[in-house]
Amino acid sequence: MSTQATAPAGLPAAPDRITLHNLMRSEWTKLRSVRSNMVTLAAAAGALLFIGLIFSAMVGGVVGNPPADAGDDPAGVALAGVQVAQLIIGVLGVLAITSEYSTGTIRTTLTAVPSRLPVVWAKVAVVTIATFSVLGISAFVTFFAGQVLIGSGDVDTAALGDPGVLRAVLGAAAFLTGTALLGLALGGLLRSTAGAISTLFGIIFVLPGLGFILLPESLRDDLLQYLPTTAGSSFTSVAPDSSQLSPTMGAAVFAAWILVPLLGAALAFVRRPA
Amino acid sequence: MIELQHLTKQYGSKTVVEDLTVTVKPGVVTGFLGPNGAGKSTTMRMLVGLEEPTSGRATVNGRSYRDHPLPIRELGVLLDAGARHPGRSARNHLLAQAHTHGLPASRVDEMLELVGLADVSKDRVGGFSLGMGQRLGIAGALLGDPQTVVLDEPVNGLDPDGIRWIRELLRSLAAEGRTVFVSSHLMTEMAMTAEHLVIVGRGKLIADLPVAELMSRSIRSVRVRSPQAALLQPLLTGHGVTVTTEPDGSLDVIGLTPEEIGARASEASIPVHELSSNQASLEEAFMELTRDAVEYAGETTTTVHPADERTAR
Ligand SMILES: Nc1ncnc2c1ncn2[C@@H]1O[C@H](COP(=O)(O)OP(=O)(O)OP(=O)(O)O)[C@@H](O)[C@H]1O
Ligand SMILES: [Mg+2]
Repeated sequence: MSTQATAPAGLPAAPDRITLHNLMRSEWTKLRSVRSNMVTLAAAAGALLFIGLIFSAMVGGVVGNPPADAGDDPAGVALAGVQVAQLIIGVLGVLAITSEYSTGTIRTTLTAVPSRLPVVWAKVAVVTIATFSVLGISAFVTFFAGQVLIGSGDVDTAALGDPGVLRAVLGAAAFLTGTALLGLALGGLLRSTAGAISTLFGIIFVLPGLGFILLPESLRDDLLQYLPTTAGSSFTSVAPDSSQLSPTMGAAVFAAWILVPLLGAALAFVRRPA
Repeated sequence: MIELQHLTKQYGSKTVVEDLTVTVKPGVVTGFLGPNGAGKSTTMRMLVGLEEPTSGRATVNGRSYRDHPLPIRELGVLLDAGARHPGRSARNHLLAQAHTHGLPASRVDEMLELVGLADVSKDRVGGFSLGMGQRLGIAGALLGDPQTVVLDEPVNGLDPDGIRWIRELLRSLAAEGRTVFVSSHLMTEMAMTAEHLVIVGRGKLIADLPVAELMSRSIRSVRVRSPQAALLQPLLTGHGVTVTTEPDGSLDVIGLTPEEIGARASEASIPVHELSSNQASLEEAFMELTRDAVEYAGETTTTVHPADERTAR
């Protein structure tokens, strides 16, 4: 067995350079081949579904007595699991990169792709496709099943064709995908799982509270609307309230919260020694 | 072919690799030897672009590693066998590498077969022994069927069978005309595997020579037994040669090789009954070469050679 290091036939000459498509296959293999990644992805989808169903069941009077109040946003009730799912999917984004540093596989990765930068885009693409497709499906299933539960009570339901509803459902999937990418960016910048997760949770949870306490009342709403979670909720809710940005503006602000750290992470990926 | 040209790496004020100029040729196994901290791993990391040289250049077949469009088809490297995700299977570990270059899954399976991991290819590598990890790392290095193979301490953690296996593997790779560059801090191991040695200490090149030459250099003296020793003695003495007559009548010659002594004796038709070299072991020869360059000298060295220690700093 020791004498034959080469396949007699040699290797196919197929691609003559490293392509983004092949790098995405490599990154997808890495993501799917670690069980905890798949568990995390499933947990985010499951959280979105089950929390949405429980809230919907309460509003529809299927469980709990008397029925909870739906307010005027039955779509929002079904999507109530977004916050919890956000935390879970953010962790997946973080792990997609920090696990490479903690296990040392980053050196294998960078040896195979010494130009480095394409690895970042391949990771972004794979995390985006995986989270948007899985959580998109989960969001739609949650919405429809939620409306059925809500409708079993004597309460108004939402239809996908109602103003803002389709945007909110797709927006929920986009918001969760964006959070995964923010996790990826923070992981790439900090190269530490614990550090990146704490920072991510800090941005999601602590920053709004801190802003509320520290900012003078006159500035409070003006500034808080630019935080990623608040900006995000402007396009994940059917009718954002008046203290929030418009859905388009909110999406732009949310995108900036992801793109800026992502570009920083890409720069660090290329410049800082592994 | 690997070429290092004035390769230098500094971390802060510490020079870890200093002005290293070496050519590693195809067709032979070249051992890269040096004590701990000599800068072997750092040199190899610079070779594959994981680390930027402070100055100088490292090239593979005339181009820097990262300028090759399909780098792992050009050079395969094992740097750190521990660099694997414990939750991933051996096959998926290699598959992720293979995909980057569009290599087929069948190539991954061939390599698993080659290194003897086919039976455990679906197992998570977290449970792998040190030796299995090394084998997986070697499979990764050979994945792209590269013309040049660079391995950092591949025998680490391998049992005697594994060591023999890798020795044969390296030799067969070289016999196929590949460039094989292998680091170790064990001279005896390298002497059995390599034909050529590059020896470094404290980041500097100490020697770049064939193993055979080091062997002949490490000869301390040659014992010559002849019934006509008295006639032979004047033929051997000369500049740089010391000949001593031992109590048993044999000659102890310093400064000539057994070949040279034999030739002179036969020219003069003097019978020789014994011609044996009193050779320093390769390990001793290596220690001698690198003594002043030992990075982390143990306590005994410090007390035995206090002067060396001082001048070395
Ligand atoms: N990132 C780094 N920052 C600072 N110093 C470093 C760094 N990497 C290596 N060194 C130092 O460079 C020196 C050479 O290390 P290197 O690992 O290249 O040696 P080596 O010859 O491979 O040794 P060994 O036989 O122990 O593997 C050591 O003194 C080490 O402490
Ligand atoms: Mg080393």
